[in-house]
Amino acid sequence: MIEGLFYLLLFPGLVFQVVCGLGFEWVDRKLLALFQRRVGPPWYQPLADMIKLFGKEDLLPTQANDLIASLLPLISLSAVLTAGLYVPIAGFSPFSFEGDLIVILFLMSVPTLSYYLAGILSIGIYSVLGGGRSLLQYFSYEVPFLIALSGPAVAAGSWSVEGIMNAQFSLGSFILFQPLGFLLALIGLIGKLKRDPLDIPSAKSEVIGGSLTEYTGAKLAFWHLVMNVQAVVGIFLMINLFLGWTKFHNPAIALAVFVLEVLLITGVLSTTSAVFARLRIDQLAGFGWRILVPLSIAQLTFVILMGA
Amino acid sequence: MSKISIPIGPQHPLLKEPLSMMVDISGERVLGASLRLGYVHRGIERLAQTRTYTQNVHLIERICGICSHIHTTTYCQAVEAVLGVEIPLRASYLRALMCELERVHSHLLWLGILAKHIGLDTIFMHAWHDRESVLDVMEEISGGRVLHAANQIGGVRFDIDHDHDSMIRSALKKLHEQVAGLLDVIENEPALIARTKGVAPVSPEVIKKYCVVGPMARASGVNVDMRRENPIPPYDQLDFSVVTHPDGDAWSRTYVRVEEIRVSLNLCESILEQLPEGPVNIRVPRRVPAGEVIIRSEAPRGELFYYLRSDGTDKPARLKVRTPTLAALSLLPEQLSAIHVADIPVVLAGVDLCVACADR
Repeated sequence: MIEGLFYLLLFPGLVFQVVCGLGFEWVDRKLLALFQRRVGPPWYQPLADMIKLFGKEDLLPTQANDLIASLLPLISLSAVLTAGLYVPIAGFSPFSFEGDLIVILFLMSVPTLSYYLAGILSIGIYSVLGGGRSLLQYFSYEVPFLIALSGPAVAAGSWSVEGIMNAQFSLGSFILFQPLGFLLALIGLIGKLKRDPLDIPSAKSEVIGGSLTEYTGAKLAFWHLVMNVQAVVGIFLMINLFLGWTKFHNPAIALAVFVLEVLLITGVLSTTSAVFARLRIDQLAGFGWRILVPLSIAQLTFVILMGA
Repeated sequence: MSKISIPIGPQHPLLKEPLSMMVDISGERVLGASLRLGYVHRGIERLAQTRTYTQNVHLIERICGICSHIHTTTYCQAVEAVLGVEIPLRASYLRALMCELERVHSHLLWLGILAKHIGLDTIFMHAWHDRESVLDVMEEISGGRVLHAANQIGGVRFDIDHDHDSMIRSALKKLHEQVAGLLDVIENEPALIARTKGVAPVSPEVIKKYCVVGPMARASGVNVDMRRENPIPPYDQLDFSVVTHPDGDAWSRTYVRVEEIRVSLNLCESILEQLPEGPVNIRVPRRVPAGEVIIRSEAPRGELFYYLRSDGTDKPARLKVRTPTLAALSLLPEQLSAIHVADIPVVLAGVDLCVACADR
């Protein structure tokens, strides 16, 4: 009982993931600042932003349903936090079971759908536009993302993230055998996180704040938290599926390798958002279905043939 | 899908200055747009009639926050033309130096805004960082970063010495390298090219129909530049090329402006080379004899037109300003149709609006 609560609330649950989420935002913003010849924020800035948002007045258009608007970010947050429970952290995974990869992927789609609903249900013109865009974007990246992530599962012969991670000790990191799959999964992750260059649903110069235009105060703070925790869970998942090598008898080494890999992926994400311009939604749809989907199918076919 | 209207402006992250547009969209397609102006109308033309010619130099400078120097330059040239005085050659060279520096910083600012609009914040930051070094030069030689108060009727109010000269040269050298880097990005970055190539192309016929001027016209292959067509000293003695591009789309507008930065940097260098010795201003009478004059000059955004009528007092009887943005604004509703919603920022940025100039 006590142990279960510890897992849920402290590690690898709520507190750990929120801290990681805020830490990720800081590292990302600091790296972006370095690319852009700026100083960047101090380490406590993401937390300060959260606290400030919690202190702000909570407003919504009169036609919007306040209950649903409050529930959507909370549902998304609980979905990504639950997904985070199943992802092994430095080889530590108390809840792992065969097939948890499917559960994680399902739970990680919840924020996107909530984001769409948040846009549609908060009435504003820009939020409706942003919501529609988020759904269009979802259809473009999700299919190649899922196919790319099933590559390691097929290669390892297991649908448990821990099993896939363990398989890489004997088989070697899957990034070496499936570099294309890794790249596709990374693009999918960027699309899922709505990060630059795929921040189409929330492009400031086009749709103001996208779905979240009408959101203020604590609700907006929760949405920011959802995005950050989602990013962290996504990065942890990528590490376990493609990099591996994070479970050692000495927990210090395991943690060091894990942190190193997290920083590596974060660096790649920050670099991508620094050097690419935002795509148009039609360009993304074309890119997704004409290039990413065939490539991901080719990658998966290759993996299956190699295994057979 | 049903038609909805989205308001862009008067307050919108896209706009740096207030301007209002209602854009009709259906899904992700733009059907049409209507425009509303006048949010920054300050009545400057009327105000100018109540002030003396000398006071007006400072009033005119406040028409625009980006191209303030070219406004005072054109105004002073108009007053000097009615007065019939000829300013010292050194003064006109120094004016031109400031004009070219202003063009460089205006175009860099513009490039930053375009990059910001298409989500390329890195270029935005780098372009504005480079722009700071131009502003530093302008501050060093005139005392003001944006409002330079550099002109007076009869010449300029600053002079440059040997130290200034070497400082400007080293800044120009650095800028040359940085602009080459920016041009490299513009020519090779695939996402930037995907977002700007072929977006909202404008044919030379449309450009001529709407009397669009400046980099917009040159990007559509219309070879027009007031510095060459109406050469006021020292441009008649300087050798420079006019950058044009045949495509007329958003990418060619980007290309033309960044190439123009290079041309302007070269012009600054040759102005420093050829800078003659002598006084930088002369005394002129307070009262201006009756007469009228039209002066046209090349502002960063295109042809700037000043009409000045004097009735023999110390205040102008009429001062009419036509800014390049006005023509570009009239083209805007036509451009904002049959494009993607995501292209609205690109189109708006490509026009390089200066609403404060247009509204006055």
